[in-house]
Amino acid sequence: MLTYVLRRILYSIPVLFAASVLIFVSVNAIGDPLAALRQNPLVSEVTINSIKERKHLDDPLPVQYAYWVKDAVTNKFGTPLLQPGQRIWDDLKRVIPHTLQLVLLSEIIALFVGISIGVYSAVRQYSPFDYAATTLSFVGFALPVFWLALMLQVLFTNLFLKWHVRIFYTSGLSSEDVHGLHFVVDRLQHLALPVMTLTILSIAQYSRFMRASMLEVINSDYVRTARAKGLVERRVTLRHALRNALIPLVTISALQFGALIGGAVITETIFQLDGMGPYFLGNLFNQDAYAVMAWLMITATAVILFNLIADVAYGYIDPRIRYE
Amino acid sequence: MHRRHLRLGLGALIAVLSLMVAGTATSAPQKVTAGTVTFGAEQEPPCLNGFLEGCNNTWTSWTAGIALRGLYIVKPNFTLAPDMGSARIVSRKPFTLVATIKKNAKWSDGKQVTADDLIFTWQTIVNPKWEIAGRSGWDSLSRVKKLSAKSVRLTFKQPYAPWKVMLSTSVLPKHALQGENFNEVWNNNYNNKSGATMATGPYKLAGYTKGQSLTMVKNPAFYGRKPSIDRITFRFITQTNSEIQAIRGGEVDAIYPQPQLELAALRGQSGLRIQSKAGSTLEHLDINAGKGNSNPLLAQRWFRQAIANSLDRQGMVRQLFRTLNPRLPVLQNVTYTNQQPQYKAHFQRYARNLQRVNSIMTSHGCRKGGDGIWACGGNRASVRLGTTAGNRLRELAVEILQAQGKSAGFEFKPDSQPSRLFFPRLSEANYDIALFAWVGTGDPAGQVDIYGCGGGSNWKGYCNRTVTNMLRRSDAALNAAQRARLVNSADVLLANDAITIPLYQKPTYFVYKSRLRGAVDNPTLQGPTWNTEAWRVG
Repeated sequence: MLTYVLRRILYSIPVLFAASVLIFVSVNAIGDPLAALRQNPLVSEVTINSIKERKHLDDPLPVQYAYWVKDAVTNKFGTPLLQPGQRIWDDLKRVIPHTLQLVLLSEIIALFVGISIGVYSAVRQYSPFDYAATTLSFVGFALPVFWLALMLQVLFTNLFLKWHVRIFYTSGLSSEDVHGLHFVVDRLQHLALPVMTLTILSIAQYSRFMRASMLEVINSDYVRTARAKGLVERRVTLRHALRNALIPLVTISALQFGALIGGAVITETIFQLDGMGPYFLGNLFNQDAYAVMAWLMITATAVILFNLIADVAYGYIDPRIRYE
Repeated sequence: MHRRHLRLGLGALIAVLSLMVAGTATSAPQKVTAGTVTFGAEQEPPCLNGFLEGCNNTWTSWTAGIALRGLYIVKPNFTLAPDMGSARIVSRKPFTLVATIKKNAKWSDGKQVTADDLIFTWQTIVNPKWEIAGRSGWDSLSRVKKLSAKSVRLTFKQPYAPWKVMLSTSVLPKHALQGENFNEVWNNNYNNKSGATMATGPYKLAGYTKGQSLTMVKNPAFYGRKPSIDRITFRFITQTNSEIQAIRGGEVDAIYPQPQLELAALRGQSGLRIQSKAGSTLEHLDINAGKGNSNPLLAQRWFRQAIANSLDRQGMVRQLFRTLNPRLPVLQNVTYTNQQPQYKAHFQRYARNLQRVNSIMTSHGCRKGGDGIWACGGNRASVRLGTTAGNRLRELAVEILQAQGKSAGFEFKPDSQPSRLFFPRLSEANYDIALFAWVGTGDPAGQVDIYGCGGGSNWKGYCNRTVTNMLRRSDAALNAAQRARLVNSADVLLANDAITIPLYQKPTYFVYKSRLRGAVDNPTLQGPTWNTEAWRVG
C-alpha cells in the first residue's frame, strides 16, 4: 500500500505540472491582465509599468510562466497585481480553513444522514419511508442552492422577529468578542444555515447512491449465504452488505470533498463566509489574474489529493483490491 | 452499526444541539447598547491605506478612514467646512494660502498634529515612489514653508480654486511614517513605529479581521466632541439580501447599501429608521457626437435636442425610485448637485414634449417611417443605448427610456455590457448613448477634463471652445461667486448642446436602528460615518 501511495504521489507531480501550464495559459489567454487597471483612472501609468516589471509582463509567455512557478514555489504565489505589500498566500491561508470547516461539517452530516436513509430505504424497499425518502431526494436535487440559502436566511430572520430568540445567524463566521466555548457555539450557530444548504443537496445525492448500491448488494449470493448461515439480519446488512455498498459512495464523496475545497461559491457568498468561494469571486471581478491562478492551483491540488484518498479508501474498504 | 454506537452517536448529536440552544439562551438578541454599534459594510476595503491606488475606495474612508481627519470636511449639503484646521488666502499672485492646524489637534499617541505633519503629507503624496491615487492640488504646489508649529504657507504654481477639497485630505503623522515604505506600511493597520494605532478622528482602529470585520474604538485624544459610543464594528456584508436580513434580524445596527429595489421591504419594519438623500453619483446619458458612433445624426445638435425632448426623466425617476425615495428630484445640471446653492436647473427645458420633437424633426427634413421611427435623409433615428449590464436599476432605466424613445419615434437599441467591457468601449468612443455616472465631490473642478476640447475623459467627441474656456477659467477662479457664474454659464451651453443629459443623483440609503441617535446621512463622499462622534444610543 505504501509503495502504491508513493507511486501515486510521484505520478501527481506531472499532473500538477500539466495543470499549472493549462491554468497559466488559459488565464493569460483571456487577455491583458492589466486591462482593468488601465481603465481605472486612479491607477497611474507609473504603477502600471511597475506592475509590468514586477510580474515580467513584457517577457515572452514561457518566461512569465517560469517566473510565476518560481514565485509559487519559493514565495508562496507572490503578490497580487495591485497591492505589492500583500501576499496571496496570506489570504489563502486565511480562507482555506473557513471553507474546510464548512465543507467538513457538511460532508460528515450529509454522509451520516445520507447513508442512513439510503440503507433503510434499500432494506425497506417500496415502504412508505422509501417513497417519502425518494420524493424528498428529488426535491433536494431540484432545489437551487441560491434559493435555498436565501429562504433559510429569511426564515430564521422571521423566526427571530417572532420569538426574539436567536437560533442561527444569517451571515458571517462569528460574532465579535466571543471566546472559549462560547466561540465554538457561536461559530456553529453561524455555520448552521450554510451547512444546512450544502447538506440538503448532498443528502439527496448520497441517499440515492446508497440506496442503489445497497439494492445491488443486498440480493447478491454472498449476502444470501450469510442469511442462510443464520446471521441476524442487522449483522448481514451492516457488516456484509453495507461495507461493499459503500465502495462507490466513498469514491463520490472523496471527489465531492475535493471539489468543494474550491469553495461552495454561492453558499459562501450568500452567507458572507470568508472562504475560498468569495476569495475567488472577488479576485475574478477585480481581474487579478495572479490571485485567480493561485486559487486554481490550490483547487487542482485538492482534487488530485482527494482522488488519491478515494483510491486508498477504496482499497481499504474492499480487501479484494490490492495495490502493487 | 452496534446499537451502543448508535445511541452514543445520537447522544452526541443531542448534546451538540443542546449546546447550540443553550447558546441562544445566553446570547441576547443583538441590539444597540450604549457600548457598541455594529455597522454592516457593503464592501471590505481592499486595504486600509486610502491614499494608495489599490486601496482608494469609499468604504476604506467610511470605515478605518474615520480615524484620520483633514483640515476640511465635506458637509451633507456639499459645502466644505473647517475641521482639524482651516486655511486663508493670503495672496492671489502667486496664489498662496496659510493653513493652520487646531491647537488641540493631537494624535492618539499623545503627540501634537503639527505643520511638519502637513508638510510630510504633501511630500508623501507627490513622491513618485508611492502609488498614490490622487495628487490633484498637491502637485500644483510650488513651495511649502513651515511658519510655526501649527501653520504652513502653501504657494501654488497657479491659482487653484478647489483648495478646500485638497485640504480635506487626511493628514499623515510624520513621526510614525517617515522612512517607511508607504506602499506597504499602512495596508492592514495604522500603527506607529511602536505598534500603537494612530488616529486624529473620534475613533481609532482597534482590530481588523480580514474578510470579516474591522473594529474602531473611542479615541480620547480627539479634538472635537467626545464620542458617546465605545466601539463601532464594521462587519463586511457584501450581498444586499444578507444586509437586509442582518438589519431586520438585529445582527447589525446600521447598513448603507447601494439602492436596490429589495430595500423597499425595510420601509415597513418597526424599529428602523431610513434616511435617503440625493447622492454624489451623478447618473446621466452621454451622447457620442464624434467618431465611433453608429449614426451621423448624433453629431447634429438638433437631433440630440430632439432625443432629450422625447424623454420623460421625471417619470423615469419616479418609476425607479417610488419605493425607495419617492421625492428624488431629476438632476437638471451637470456641474452642480441639487443640494448646492449654486445649482440652477438649466436642463429643465428638456421635459418630454412630443410636439417639440415633431417640430424639430420635421423642420430638418425627417419623416416617420412605417415602423414609427424617424428617418432623416436616409438615416433612421436608430442608435445604441447601453449601460453596465448587471446593474438592475440602470438596466430598468434603459428599458424605460427605450419605451419613451420609441413612442417619440426614436429607436434605442440595447447595447449593455458588463462594466469591464462597457467602460473600455466608452474610452474608445465605441458607443452612441451611454448611461453611466460620474462621482462628484461637490466641487466642479475637473469638469474641463470631461467637457473640454481634448479632455482626457471627453469621449463624446465634444468640443465647444467657449465651454472649455469657461471651465478652465473656473478652475482658477478664486472668487466663489465668479466661479459659480463661469461654471453655470458653461452649463447653459452644455444644456443647449445636449451632449449630456443629466438624469438623477443616485440616492443614498441609510438604514439604522431607531435607538441610534445622531446619525445623519452625508450623501457626499464623506459618507454616513462622517459624524460618528455625534452618535449616541437612547
